[in-house]
Amino acid sequence: MFYRQSIIIFGFALPAVVCAAVVGGGIFLKGKATTSFQEKQAMYKASEANSIGSQSIEKEISKKREHVEHWNTQMGRETANAIASALKEIGDRLPPKEFQQTAVEYPNGASGFATASAQPSSQVKLSFRATYRSMQRAFIELETLMPQLQLQELKIDPSASSTSTMNFSVTYTAWQK
Amino acid sequence: MVAYQHPSGLNPLQRFRQAGAILRGTSRAANPAWYLNALELDLQLHLRVDGNRADSWLFDRRTHAWTAGPVLDEACALDATLIPAFAEEVLAAARKAGAPAIGLILHLADEFATSELKPELDNPGALTELRTQIENDPKAVLDDSSVTAADNSWRLVPYPAAGSEAIATTMCVSRRWAAFLDELRRYGEEKNFPIVTRAVSAPLLCLLALPDLKLDAVNRPLIAILPYPRFTLLAFFNEYGDLRLLRTLQHRGQRRPTNLRHATSTTAAALELADPEIFLFHIGDSADPQLAADVQVVFPATSIHEVDWQNTRFAEPAMGTNFPELLVAAHLATPAETPLAAAHTFAVFRSEGWASQDLLPIPRESAELYPGRGEMKLLHLAKFARVGFAAVAALALVWVMMGMIAMVRQPEWAFNAENSQIGKQRLAMVTSERTRIEHWDNLLEDRSKAWASMELLSSLFPPKSGVLTKTFSHSIRTQSAPAQAKTGFVKEWKITGLAREETMERLALMSTREGISAIFNEVASNTGNQAYRTDVGSRSVVVNVRTLENSGFKPAPSEEMLDLDETTYPFSFDLTITQRFESSDPMAVKASKAP
Repeated sequence: MFYRQSIIIFGFALPAVVCAAVVGGGIFLKGKATTSFQEKQAMYKASEANSIGSQSIEKEISKKREHVEHWNTQMGRETANAIASALKEIGDRLPPKEFQQTAVEYPNGASGFATASAQPSSQVKLSFRATYRSMQRAFIELETLMPQLQLQELKIDPSASSTSTMNFSVTYTAWQK
Repeated sequence: MVAYQHPSGLNPLQRFRQAGAILRGTSRAANPAWYLNALELDLQLHLRVDGNRADSWLFDRRTHAWTAGPVLDEACALDATLIPAFAEEVLAAARKAGAPAIGLILHLADEFATSELKPELDNPGALTELRTQIENDPKAVLDDSSVTAADNSWRLVPYPAAGSEAIATTMCVSRRWAAFLDELRRYGEEKNFPIVTRAVSAPLLCLLALPDLKLDAVNRPLIAILPYPRFTLLAFFNEYGDLRLLRTLQHRGQRRPTNLRHATSTTAAALELADPEIFLFHIGDSADPQLAADVQVVFPATSIHEVDWQNTRFAEPAMGTNFPELLVAAHLATPAETPLAAAHTFAVFRSEGWASQDLLPIPRESAELYPGRGEMKLLHLAKFARVGFAAVAALALVWVMMGMIAMVRQPEWAFNAENSQIGKQRLAMVTSERTRIEHWDNLLEDRSKAWASMELLSSLFPPKSGVLTKTFSHSIRTQSAPAQAKTGFVKEWKITGLAREETMERLALMSTREGISAIFNEVASNTGNQAYRTDVGSRSVVVNVRTLENSGFKPAPSEEMLDLDETTYPFSFDLTITQRFESSDPMAVKASKAP
């Protein structure tokens, strides 16, 4: 029985160890590759989701970009200049007897909407003497041209000098960038 | 022929390689005959040497046929150069018979000597141990210290009879045929054809024929006389058929021992074997015809049975001469069905192989050169195991490769962190842009517009509705709510004026939830300003109307009533509308700064 031990060692144990090493190595390599692949899969899925999300958001915001550009342009200008320019433009299109700006004021401090948000803003107070419909038309145009204006206060009083016109006093909070 | 080295001088790897070479270079794994007893093989060559003649007979177990074998020259025992030619003849005979192996049984009938065991070893329980020990170290067992194991071979022969003075005796033969058998085996190994040898003691084996000769019940002691050309063996059995003593009488040149008569009678007397039954064997053709008469002298009342082999199964016509040992060996596996066969002696001599002991076995060093039968099977199995392991490893590698290929073929495999980062950045960018847009969307909501408020006033009191509005004020205040993302607010309209009779019903309707909601929804519909929608759960509208009599009212005919004439209005009113937007309302103001 001189050979039994050698046969067991070199005939069975060693091939088994080599086989186990090959199988184990293969399993280890596949495990590593699988782990790496799973990470890549996760990244790929996340990227796909990101891509789909990006496309969806892109689709959503692309419709608004035009407006955003307009808002940026508007809010990029100084509020006082923008209002003056807009009122001049509006005033040019309305009969002078029906629309007259009587006062403009830029109060310091924050009130109304300005206190509710951390967004920078300014206050502007305007006074007009105008007919009801002209004033309403002027407001439509002004508030359309300057969407950053949020009405804070509006007062309408009868005019003492004319029955067709009224005194309008309006205070806006103007959002700024 | 490859010269194999003894494995004790090899390291484990060399042993394995040598075993592998033996597996590949010999038929030991495929041919089990290499590891069988010569008496178990289908083709057997029985050689018998008795000092006068050498006989050679082939026995085919498959056909039970005996044929003359290759002629054996007794000089082979002394001249090794004669052996290859004889071996070639043996091999040719085996191949001619179509046998995968041949068993060569050498019946030694030319010598038989007994020696006594050391008295201190007379222990029946140690018989098995002594049987092994006498083969390896006869000096330790024998009473005679002058023995030399190099020249002779000893074997134990037990005395199973109860009351025997010794548990066994020893039998000795010379090793002069050992080289002959070694050379035959070596020749077989060289030709890769199993020649399995066995040297047996012809008289000891011949004793096993006795049960076939004594057919009736055993009730008297027995004496078997086996005359050979050079010696006569006396075997004494008790009344139960168990062996009590073996005694050899050398002929010393005579046809029979001169003291046969005396030795037989005195030994029987010494063993107290009263009225024994005597069996006189006739073996070969050199028996002394006066032998029976010689013995009869000392046993006058005993009928001596001279064995007639013709009526037994140990007669073979093809041989011509009676060589019962050969036939006993051939029928060793089949015991006789007589009372004597059941005696303990004959049972153990047959089953434990005492009668067929190999006197000249393959030397231990030569036997150890080759892997054993179990080792060869293991080695053979290892070959398949290696293939199996290789297959498993290959399958594992294929599995890994397939898996890898399957993974590599996926688009995800080529994807890297950089691509992922680009996607993330893109999403972050558009998300940030969307957040910024949403923020400005919220801040720029049409939650409070002057023109829409004026439209509300027109809807409350359309022209010619019998109302003269005196003052209108609209203000907004926010509801501070710390730590909230959005801030709710309250819009309030205060209107004072004068009203005619027909307007009072409208004012009353306006003060109800349904009434004011209808007006607000109308404004929302006309202006598209969603701040006036009342169907949003986070909003509420409350109206408070106070009406008084106009102290300056002067009744007048309706056609004289002017719209601006305050005296034509019988009532004055004070209307307050409060619209509340909770912080959960879509139009609530975002508290944070734009990102």
